[in-house]
Formats: sequence, structure tokens, C-alpha cells
Amino acid sequence: MNTPLPLGLPPATAFYLCLYLATLVVHLMFMHYVLAGSIYLAFGRLMGRARCQACRWQSILIDWLPFATGLAITAGVGPLLFVQILYGREFATANLLLSHRWMAILPVLIVCFYLLYLQKSAWIARQVWVWRPAVAAIACAGFIFIAWSWTENHLLMLDRAAWPGIYATGSLRYESAGVLPRLAVWCFLAFPSLAIELAWQGRLLGDRLDEPTVADTRLTGLSPVRRLAVTSLSGWAGTLLAAAAYWPAIPVAAREAIIGPPAGPWLTVAVLGLLIQIAAWSVALFSDRLSYIALIVMTAAWVAALLGIAVVRETIRLTAVDLATGGELHKTALGIGGLPVFLLFAVLNAAAIGWSIRLVRRQITSGNGSA
Amino acid sequence: MTPLDHYPAIDLGPLMKGLVIGGLGIFHVFLAQFAIGGGMLLCYLQWRHMRGVCRLARRFTDDYFKLLVLVSFVLGAVTGVAMWFTSIQISPRTIGTMVHEFHWVWATEWTFFCLEVVAGYLFYRYGPRLPDRARLQLLVLYSFASWMSLFWINGILSWQLTPGAWLETRNVWAGFFNPGFLPSLIFRTISAVAIAALAACTLVNAVPGFTREERQSLVAVCARPLAFMLAMPLVGAWYLGTMPADSRGWATGGSVPMTLFLTMAVGSSTLIGLYAVLAILRQRLFVNGATASLLLALAFVATAGGEFVREGVRKPFTIREYLYSNSIARDGVADLRRRGSTADDPYPLRDQADYPSEQLVLGAKVFRAQCSVCHTLDGMNAVAELAATWSIDQRRLNIAQLQRTKPFMPPFAGTPAEVEAIVQLIGWRHAGRPADWAVSDDPAVLAQIERWLDEAGTGPGDARLAVGARLP
Repeated sequence: MNTPLPLGLPPATAFYLCLYLATLVVHLMFMHYVLAGSIYLAFGRLMGRARCQACRWQSILIDWLPFATGLAITAGVGPLLFVQILYGREFATANLLLSHRWMAILPVLIVCFYLLYLQKSAWIARQVWVWRPAVAAIACAGFIFIAWSWTENHLLMLDRAAWPGIYATGSLRYESAGVLPRLAVWCFLAFPSLAIELAWQGRLLGDRLDEPTVADTRLTGLSPVRRLAVTSLSGWAGTLLAAAAYWPAIPVAAREAIIGPPAGPWLTVAVLGLLIQIAAWSVALFSDRLSYIALIVMTAAWVAALLGIAVVRETIRLTAVDLATGGELHKTALGIGGLPVFLLFAVLNAAAIGWSIRLVRRQITSGNGSA
Repeated sequence: MTPLDHYPAIDLGPLMKGLVIGGLGIFHVFLAQFAIGGGMLLCYLQWRHMRGVCRLARRFTDDYFKLLVLVSFVLGAVTGVAMWFTSIQISPRTIGTMVHEFHWVWATEWTFFCLEVVAGYLFYRYGPRLPDRARLQLLVLYSFASWMSLFWINGILSWQLTPGAWLETRNVWAGFFNPGFLPSLIFRTISAVAIAALAACTLVNAVPGFTREERQSLVAVCARPLAFMLAMPLVGAWYLGTMPADSRGWATGGSVPMTLFLTMAVGSSTLIGLYAVLAILRQRLFVNGATASLLLALAFVATAGGEFVREGVRKPFTIREYLYSNSIARDGVADLRRRGSTADDPYPLRDQADYPSEQLVLGAKVFRAQCSVCHTLDGMNAVAELAATWSIDQRRLNIAQLQRTKPFMPPFAGTPAEVEAIVQLIGWRHAGRPADWAVSDDPAVLAQIERWLDEAGTGPGDARLAVGARLP
């Protein structure tokens, strides 16, 4: 691979890789909201009832986390499908080796999902305050467990030499120097996403983020905009530190590919996206305002950074898998009919989604709705 | 296609792998059908409200939708993903083949999931504040998307049993619109509507704030879709008619468990249908919470019976005439008879040190590769139990000619030495796993096994499955 991805790959592999990356980035957007949102809430709930009730972002998160979880799961189906086309054998083998431990993510996900609904229920509002931090902490721990399991699964996929040995021992864990730092990278990376998503939500819900805060911030400490800025900037700082810790655990061939022709340009895109976000959030932090233009610029930088990081992540995987065998499978897969039907319904259903959102917005904002 | 791909086999102890996927599948199908039928029922209720003939419908629709979101959006969605992961755990090659052949169909289904989730959540969140027309529009969108997800997955599932012209052409649409597609789709749609109606009758009794008269009037409306169950015998017979003759034979007396499960499904559906038509719709009897719950439980039993039959009658295949239940390609058996089924297996045994000879290690590997997807050694459906009363020569003959021993078993796909290895493994376990066990390598025995293997051939046991008799 001496050209930027996906150019150096066989056409069918490149096609599926592009689809996988596009759907993965969408999944990441919702997954980051859920992961970082649940961590944010778990820590936020420790600040006590008064500060929590004064925090705009905590109320939004409590209200929207269940829906975001539904979206994250639904959006995850796409990349889950394409990852099986691209790396079917590796993915299935890692699943099987981690076995019950891996499958445990499903009951955990169900419990976490219901806990998110419980957090916004009238029932919990009638209970003593300690219930709320407890529920938030359990949900947060559950989502971190799921993230940890995915990280282990992903790294085990890449370590073909370890498969027979792990099977022989019957161990349901994959211990590798890369697991914790990689998990940390993805957990920290979720916070810059959360900050941008909350900023959009606040704006769409009518919050004036482009004006300095006039409300009393004695209770909440920082203004809403400044809190988002701190969330994003600390998330980026954590990501960079974790990435530095993860770097030595990455195989040499993969490191060369990351900084070389295959992923070097994408790494540059990711770094540029990061720098733009850091700059924009720093301005917001000092001025205590976030203009619409700044939000659009940082959103574009955020999407670019996510895409760049996703390609870098994929480069590590591509250096570890057997592309020759896989390439043949991808070629035959692409020869199977059905793509036009998928594209047609993807467009039609995206339009239907847009139409239904517009329908509801129009009815709610025009006041046509009955109480 | 390679004859056999080796994956690290999971160990579920005494549990049969098939039961795990079957149990989860039944649960997921029931929830999914509840969601699909629920959407249609809510459209009907909202429409009646807008016509002014059911004043309570709007309020009840909101209550019902909350249940739908809490049950279907959480349990339904996650068990859907769980089905995928569990399929990988049980038979990675089967799900891998399904994904490979139908990935665009699955991707299309996914776009409908997205629409279903967004339309559904918009209704859940904003429905109570929306005017009637907008509510109906959202409900129609939601129920259409959820039914379309059934449409797509139904094509893939029915293809597994009746792949039709796909076997000859490998055309995705020939496989998707297979002989079982339409009857299966209609049957599942009626089941979905019936489950949703029964869930509504249960919920009417569970939510507070309705008087007895109001509950009665709501039950009368919600139960109406149960009348569609009158079409079930016809559609069921149609579906049965599209099944391959041998599969139909298992369900109609050829296999006692299959017949029992079919009877269970038919019996439960008949009871529900009779009660619905005679008591609820004709005599307008009030259905209290206990009765509605009982009817819903019967619907679960019917679903369980039907799904078990659907999974079971595919034997000895997991993809009819293409891939055997143990993930060995139909066309690959002859090759494995020459090379052996464990020659390329990179995974050692976890308890390798416990076996006193290499022959027993080989036997355990053969068991893992060819038998473990449906059998255990000592737990459920244990090979040791099934072969307990056989003499040693019977074991050799029955395993070498497996497809003749039981027509729903695949042919043995290995060498004579592998047959002898598994025969010795069974004998060793019967003997209480002694520390010493003599190796059996008599050339005359192996030659006899080879003759038996050759006699049985490499195809399935049922003559109706012979090449050339594939398509009706």
C-alpha cells in the first residue's frame, strides 16, 4: 500500500471499505453521545441535586439518552454488516474466542438501556436523591464494559497468531498492552463529539449560545458554553495522551502505514480537524459565547477528524489481515445483485426520515398540536 | 466454496447449541411480531378515532405506544443484534453465507430500521401533542417501515428452507422470492396482528383510568384484527405445501418432536382463534386481564412451536441442499472423505491431556467439527446416550452411514480413520474414561468402514434430496 487509502486496495475491497467507514462514522456520532453522555451524567450526578437541576446539559442528556442509545444501536447495524463482508473470518473468530464474555455485552446493554429510561421516569423523581447517582453510575459502568469488550474483540481480531493459544487455554480475556490505552482513546474521543452534539441540541431547543451568559453561574460553576468547551478540550487532551500511550503497542508495520502514504494524509486531516476544534472551543471558553458560524466550522472539523481517525484505525487493521483472500471474497460479494435496491431505499427512507422530522417540527412550532 | 471452515467452537457445557439460538429466536420473533402488528393496530385505532367512532382510541394509542417503545425498541432491538451474534457463536459459516449472499437485502432492511426508529420515537415523544392527521401519518410510516423489515428478513429466512431457483442460478432475487416467501410473509403478518391484538387486550386491563364499559368497548375494537386468524389454516396449508416433501414429512408424522411442535402451534392458534371469533367477536364477551394474558401466553407457545418446526424441518441442512447443519458444504463431503475433516483444524483441544491416545484426540476433534453443533458428548442430545445400546460394529456402521441411520442427519464427512476415532471416543466415555485405552487400527476394520462409507455415498440420506430431484 503506497497510495492513500482506499486507492491502493482492490476496487471491491475499497468499495466496501468506504461503505463501512461512512456507516461507522455515523454510528460513532451516536455512540459517542451515549458513552460520553453517560459518563458525564454519572459524574455530574455526584454534584448534588441543586447543581444537577441547574445544569442544562444534564437535563438534555437525561431526556435524550434513551433515544440516542436506540439510534446508536440502529446505526451500528450498518457497520456490523459491512465489517462481516470485509473481515468475516476475523470478526467471527474473535467473537467465538471471547465467547460468553463477549455475549455478555447484550444483557448489559439491555440493562443500561432500561436504566436510561428509569433515569427520566417519574418514579425515580419521587425517590431519595441517592438513587439518581447510583442509576447513572451503573449505566455508565455498563457502557464502559461494552466499550472495553469491543476494544478487546477488535484487537483480538488482529492477532491471528494468538487465536489457537487463547482457544487452548479457554480464557475469555484477551490481554494485550494495547487494550487499555486504545479503550482510553475511544472513551476520551467521545467527549469532543458530545460537546458539539450538545451545542447543537441546545441551539435547536432554543438556547442562546451566541451571547454571554447572563444567568447566575454560582450554582453550576461554569456557564453552559464554557462547560462544553472544557468538556471538548479535556476530551482532546485525554485522547492525545491515550494515543501517545497506545502508539508503542501498535505493530511497527501499522505505525509505518499510519505515518506513511496509506494513512498519512488522513492523519493530517484528523489533526487539522482537531486543531480547528481546539481553536474554536478555546475562543468559546474565553469569550463565553459560541456563534452559529463557529459551531458550523467546528462541526465540519469534527466530522473530518472522525473520518480521519476512522481511516487511521482501519489502516492498523488492514496491515494485520489477509487481504489477498479477502479481496476475492469482496469481489464475489460485489457481484451479487441488490445494490441498486439498497441505494434506492436508502434515499427514499432518508427522505422519509427527513419528512417526518419536518412534519413534527412544523406542527410543534406552529402550535397546531393539541395539548 | 471450501468444504469446511474451521472456527474455534464454543462450549456450552450440557446445553445444546441449537436450543440457545432457538430459544433466543423465539423470544425475538415474538417481540418483533408484536412491534409489527402493534404498528398496524395503532393505525387502525387512530383511524377509528379520526372517524369519530372510538373516542378512547387516541388515549389508548399513546398508552400502547409507550409499551411498544419500552418493549420493542429496547428488547426487540437488542435481541435482534443478539440473534446475529448468537448465530456467529453457533454456526459462523451459516450466518457468514447468509450475510455474503444477502448483504444488500440486509442493508436495505437496515434503512427501514432507521425509519422505524425515527418515526416511532417521534410519535412516542411528540404524538400526544400532535393533531390527528399528523399522528396517523407518523403511525403509517412507522408501521410500514416495521412491516418492510419483516418483508426483507422473511425472504432470507424462507430461503434457508426453500432456496428455489437460487440453487441453480445463484441469483439473489431468485433466492429471495423463493417458493416459501409469500405464504410465510402472509402467515407472519397475521401472527403479528394477532399478537398485537392480544397484547392490546392485556394492556386495556392494565392501564388505570378506564371504566369497565370503556375497557369493554376498547377490547371489542382491539380484538377485531383477530378475525384474520380465520385465514391461518389456509395460509398454513399453503406454506406447508411449499415445503420440500421430506421436510413436510418430518412435520406431519415423520419426526415425533417436529409433529408435536407443529401440533402445539396449531392447537394454540386454534384455541386463540376459536375464543376470539366465538367469544370476543360474536358474543362480545368481556376479556379481563387474566384471560388476555393467558391468550397472549398461548400465542407465545404457538410462536415457539412454529419457529421450532421452521428451524427443525431444514435438517439435515442449515441452508437447504447447500450447507449441512454442521456447516459442511454439500459439495464438499467427497473431498473431506479423502482429506479428513480435521486435517486443517488449527485449534487444539482444551482438554487434550485428558485423552490417553492420539486416536481419542482425533475422535474428539471429529466430534467438535461434525457433531457439536447439534449434540453434546454427555449433556443434551448426547452422542454417548444415543449410541449407548449399539454394539461396536453397529456404531461403525451407523456413523459411517449416518444419513441412512437417520435421514435428518448429514453424511459423515471424514475418513474411515475418523469414523473409527469417534467410535472409540464413544466407547472410551462409556467405559468411564479410563487412563489406558487401546488404539484400534485394524486394517480390516478400516476397510469395512470404507466400504460402508462408499455404499452410503456422499449425498443426503433421503432419496427425495438426490441431485436431479431438487426442484418440484
